[in-house]
Amino acid sequence: MKVFRSHMLLCGGTGCHSSGSIEVKKALIAELVKRGLSEEIKVVETGCNGFCAMGPIIVVYPEGIIYVMIKPADIPELVEEHLIKGRVLQRLLYKEPVTEGIIPTMQDIPFFALQDLRVLRNRGLIDPEKIDEYIARDGYDGMAKALTEMTPEEIVNEVLASGLRGRGGAGFPTGIKWKFAAASPGDVKYVLCNADEGDPGAFMDRSVLEADPHAVLEGMVIAAKAIGAHQGYIYCRAEYPLAIHRLNIAIAQAEEYGLLGKDILGTGFVFDLEIYQGAGAFVCGEETALMTSIEGQRGMPRPRPPFPAVAGLWQKPSILNNVETLANIGQIILRGAAWYAGVGTEKSKGTKVFALTGDVNNVGLVEVPMGTTLGAIVYDIGGGIPDGRKFKAAQLGGPSGGCIPVEHLNAPVDYETMVELGAIMGSGGLIVMNDEKCAIDMACFFMDFCQDESCGKCTPCREGTKRMLEILTNITLGKGKEGDIELLEEMAIIIKDASLCGLGQTAPNPVLSTIRYFRKEYEDHILRHRCEAAVCSALFKSPCQHTCPIGMDIPSYIALIREGRLEDAYKILLRTNPFPSVCGRVCDHKCQSKCRRGKMDEPIAIKFLKRFITDNIPRPKIETVPVTREEKIAVVGAGPTGLTAARDLALRGYKVTVFEELSEAGGMLRWAIPAYRLPRPIIAKEIADIRALGVEIRCNTRVGRDVSFARIDQDFDYICLAPGAHKSQKMGVPGEELLGIYGGVEFLRDFNTHENAWMKGEKTLGSKAAVIGGGNSAIDAARCAVRLGADVTILYRRERKDMPAAVEEITAAEEEGIRIEFLVAPVSIIEKNGRVSGITCRRMKLGEFDRSGRKKPVPCEGSEYTLDVDAVIAAVGQFPDLSFVPKESGVSVNKWNCFDLAEGSASQTTNLKFYAGGDAVTGPDTVIGAIAAGHQAAKDIDGAIRAQKCEAAYEEPAEEKIVIPFVLDEENPEAPQAKMPEVHGNERKQSFIEVELGFTREEAGKEAARCLRCDVEV
Amino acid sequence: MGKTVPLTIDGKDVEAASGQNILEVAHEQGIYIPTLCHYSRTTNVGACRVCVVEVEEAKSLVASCCMPVSPGMVIRTNTPKVRDARRLIVELLWASGDHNCLNCEQNGACELQNLIYWLEIEKPRFPIEHPGYDVEKTNTMIQRDLNKCILCGRCIRACNEIQVNEILDFSQRGSRAKVGPAFDTDYIDSDCYFCGECADACPVGAITFKQARFAGRPWELKKVKTTCAYCGVGCQMDLNVHDNRIVKVTGNRAYEQPNWGSLCIKGRFGLDFVNHPDRLKTPLIRTEKGGELAEATWEEAYAFIAEKLTDIRKENGPESIAGLSSARCTNEENYLFQKFMRAVIGTNHVDHCARL
Repeated sequence: MKVFRSHMLLCGGTGCHSSGSIEVKKALIAELVKRGLSEEIKVVETGCNGFCAMGPIIVVYPEGIIYVMIKPADIPELVEEHLIKGRVLQRLLYKEPVTEGIIPTMQDIPFFALQDLRVLRNRGLIDPEKIDEYIARDGYDGMAKALTEMTPEEIVNEVLASGLRGRGGAGFPTGIKWKFAAASPGDVKYVLCNADEGDPGAFMDRSVLEADPHAVLEGMVIAAKAIGAHQGYIYCRAEYPLAIHRLNIAIAQAEEYGLLGKDILGTGFVFDLEIYQGAGAFVCGEETALMTSIEGQRGMPRPRPPFPAVAGLWQKPSILNNVETLANIGQIILRGAAWYAGVGTEKSKGTKVFALTGDVNNVGLVEVPMGTTLGAIVYDIGGGIPDGRKFKAAQLGGPSGGCIPVEHLNAPVDYETMVELGAIMGSGGLIVMNDEKCAIDMACFFMDFCQDESCGKCTPCREGTKRMLEILTNITLGKGKEGDIELLEEMAIIIKDASLCGLGQTAPNPVLSTIRYFRKEYEDHILRHRCEAAVCSALFKSPCQHTCPIGMDIPSYIALIREGRLEDAYKILLRTNPFPSVCGRVCDHKCQSKCRRGKMDEPIAIKFLKRFITDNIPRPKIETVPVTREEKIAVVGAGPTGLTAARDLALRGYKVTVFEELSEAGGMLRWAIPAYRLPRPIIAKEIADIRALGVEIRCNTRVGRDVSFARIDQDFDYICLAPGAHKSQKMGVPGEELLGIYGGVEFLRDFNTHENAWMKGEKTLGSKAAVIGGGNSAIDAARCAVRLGADVTILYRRERKDMPAAVEEITAAEEEGIRIEFLVAPVSIIEKNGRVSGITCRRMKLGEFDRSGRKKPVPCEGSEYTLDVDAVIAAVGQFPDLSFVPKESGVSVNKWNCFDLAEGSASQTTNLKFYAGGDAVTGPDTVIGAIAAGHQAAKDIDGAIRAQKCEAAYEEPAEEKIVIPFVLDEENPEAPQAKMPEVHGNERKQSFIEVELGFTREEAGKEAARCLRCDVEV
Repeated sequence: MGKTVPLTIDGKDVEAASGQNILEVAHEQGIYIPTLCHYSRTTNVGACRVCVVEVEEAKSLVASCCMPVSPGMVIRTNTPKVRDARRLIVELLWASGDHNCLNCEQNGACELQNLIYWLEIEKPRFPIEHPGYDVEKTNTMIQRDLNKCILCGRCIRACNEIQVNEILDFSQRGSRAKVGPAFDTDYIDSDCYFCGECADACPVGAITFKQARFAGRPWELKKVKTTCAYCGVGCQMDLNVHDNRIVKVTGNRAYEQPNWGSLCIKGRFGLDFVNHPDRLKTPLIRTEKGGELAEATWEEAYAFIAEKLTDIRKENGPESIAGLSSARCTNEENYLFQKFMRAVIGTNHVDHCARL
């Protein structure tokens, strides 16, 4: 045999062919010829390597270096560097998406390292068109053993003992199927291979056939011996031309070598094999339909019994096994059942191949032991979700399966668990979906597939799937009706129960499973016309507006910025938002996460554009609204919720009095968010406008201290409770009561109350401070602490990607010199002279997934270490202080120290006179969430008053008509989001001047022009 | 065979014959299970699913028409689950097409209509959709309105299994599936023999007899069992008579031998001569050469024939006479005819129109 210095294994599966590996191969061969290396270097085109996201791939042996995403233009450099100079070409190596670390060798890449290859053991290693390479890897050894040393009963028993179950999806034990067929009388029997892989997103079988076709042939010969068959068919879909090509080569080579056909291996055993090309009907994956199709008839299922083991193809005893099932057989016979059953779970043995696709970094083909958790497949092997998005669900089993949501990431993937969770193992399609996918839209997709692929024979499947699709489609179009969910459930159960074959019996699964896990989304669509994922575009004008909790008309004000009509833009802002200049600075801009421009390059800077409007023209003048209604309304708490409610009620003609404990109104905006993010005059102006409407704000008046709860109850007709969540959670470690330990919000409030004292050094954190937590409060506290001269370390118990704080805040903190230590949790506080002098921490590692889809940190025992600090700020969560609410008031408070709402109401408490909103109901949330809650409470209070008086519902006064311009851009070239100009350096670190400077007119105009105007129908 | 299978159906312990299916056992026991796609002496395909029943330990409902009985089976034919499934299936079928009974020929004889009534369905929960097919009116015998088709497949099995003409099959998939000849042509452009078996098999108004259109409602028609007069096979058939006129001819699967309800194009569609003004109703005699045919009585006719044959035989001998009988006569009549020719006339010149 000819010896080469180096082997270059180039992926030649259909996936890599499509990403250009044929061109790469040509370039490589040409380059080797040019350099005179053809005799030294061997190029091997293998089947699918599995790492499809990174294709085309070349693995160079003996070093095992893997190069990814190679283009033909890279070849000269690759040959020069690697093959001639002996240097690894860094730029083509694999980069880990989260850590960005470079990994040169295949076995060290987590995608490969965590897999267990049995079915795919030859993938990327052998040339599938050369039988010798298969034989060199123990190929046909299992068959030889079966033909020469084993009786049919022994083969069946070995397969039975291995616990192998049908990999086509249903999981019927392969050994039992064989046993039945072996027991069926008759001298004509058939072995059939189902290669009619048709699930959307599934390509396991194709890859096996393309990478290792002989493994399937070997399995079929063994099966033939086991049941006494002499003829076999591989039913392969015609859309797999490469698989068919390689199968044909494999069959011809095996026949030539005496491994197939007459007198196999001289044993006298005969087995002939033919390929039958399927014409592309999904239903032909069903066994009886497949057999009908081979018989030359229309591929429609027949009723069972008789089962194929008794009367299958041409009414003769037949077995039908999936490609992956058959590819396991040779190894089971060769290495024994015990070896095979050595991995997996009690009832699901061996490994399973998954085609990992969808919203996952490492799209590709993976093989893992049965029982591997879904989270391990998606995150550890799959590399998690791209663009830092959240995992929503994974669809297993394609259109016949179901989805598994985030709360079940720890579920072991095996037959039983999947069924328990409402999915099925399926043939191995695993489609990952992020939070931008709508559950109903997804159910619609799969139902559309099934109704289209239904053969039309039986009524439930033919008509039922069509009607279910109709109902689902109506829901996505906003035409859903109450009762639709129940009707869908009823239909689903009957269709599953009454359909003729597996297609109809499983078609409703995606609907049932999305209803099971995402019922609220269905209800949102039907009752509230809301699509949380902003997918069902018939329900909204634009995704940004739909996502905004108060429905700000974003496309309109952006269009007006582009035209330079800022006055009109400001009016649009104020229609829905009393705090646009605040939100232009500190909103968490959920709108941007759904911006469709983000799918093209980067989302529009909606928040900054909003700020640009409020920065650049004076606020429209506010007139006092006359009091026209007799009811008096009190609002407790002058934060964004309370003030929004007060404003809305004042606009409707009510006399509103706001009670505020602190010396100034604004709540968290004034007392927690530092001035470098939100300068005080900005808030003051917006609050002044609310006062100007006629709202009375009584500061320094705490309910329960300065005025009694009973008094308010007596003096006012309705009360809106919006006290916020101003108390920090404790860390729960010894020493927490020491001097120098602060709660996050308490520290921020203290600083904001005694700013002068802090700035002059009368109050100090000392030289070193630790901040515990990863949310926005933690970052606010840390960045304040830096400005007070402390050296700050943030300790966070999870990883960076799990931090709830805004990404831009984290980056800003780091720029200001703040260190963030990840996977660390406090254990105890060290005391010196009654003050904190240090904090003992423990390293954490990531364990199982929690319900939020993040891995739970678990302590590493013995990893304790101490950090010397003068102050500790614990920003690990907040809760409301509702001690002012007397128990006898009838306003009930729940175990999270939040208000309980009356059944079915969005703001009414359990005492019908009292309404509540904001953080005091939801726990700590965003400014925009608080404003939305204020709107809700005002609407509900007004609605209750009018309902009681039998008055018509409130009608908004007619709005001034503002014509929204539209410029049709012929081209909208890719351009990143405009960068916000910032103050940098010491000036920023040593003062509380605003860090972000705001867009110039030019920047704003340009950014506004990036908007794709999803609101316009052309 | 001969072995019996003990089982329980609706709480009753019974012995079924081996090889029977649940539907057959139920009907023997007087238990009604509705069916649509089931058609006697054709393959049970389990397509419509209205015959589903519950069988203990089965994973799902089973179609009684194609589930063979097995020992110890516990069958329930009328549980809430079964009723809900039947109702939904029938609702879906109702909504799937243009099931407008007002002018449908099958009104009153429609199996879908009967089932809807039996299941007490007020109206389907789904919008009724007109599929939008053109009604096929391109031949004079069979009218096809696929808008009323419920895709039970009975016509296909009637065509392929009973008549073995193999003209019909399904085309397309899912709810677009439709029945028709190859390449989706009209009957007249296909190899169809127009035996009408498909129309007999159709449980709804999708395939109907064109001559019967607007010629009488099913309850106005009187069925008269008779033997087809076209040939000697002796096919049994029902003349559907209204106002003393034959409206259509239907087969009857219960009539068994010799045709088991099947007919050919002549027996099915060739009976319009019965009421035709040109039909011969009395013998006619032309007494003079070139003269008019004149009505005569049978006595006159027979006397005339006997006289003429006697004269010819006398003048030219028996060999000058030949006899030609008809394929529409029975074997017995043909036997008598040849006997008459040989024994009475004395000639072997006797033949039969089927040889022409």
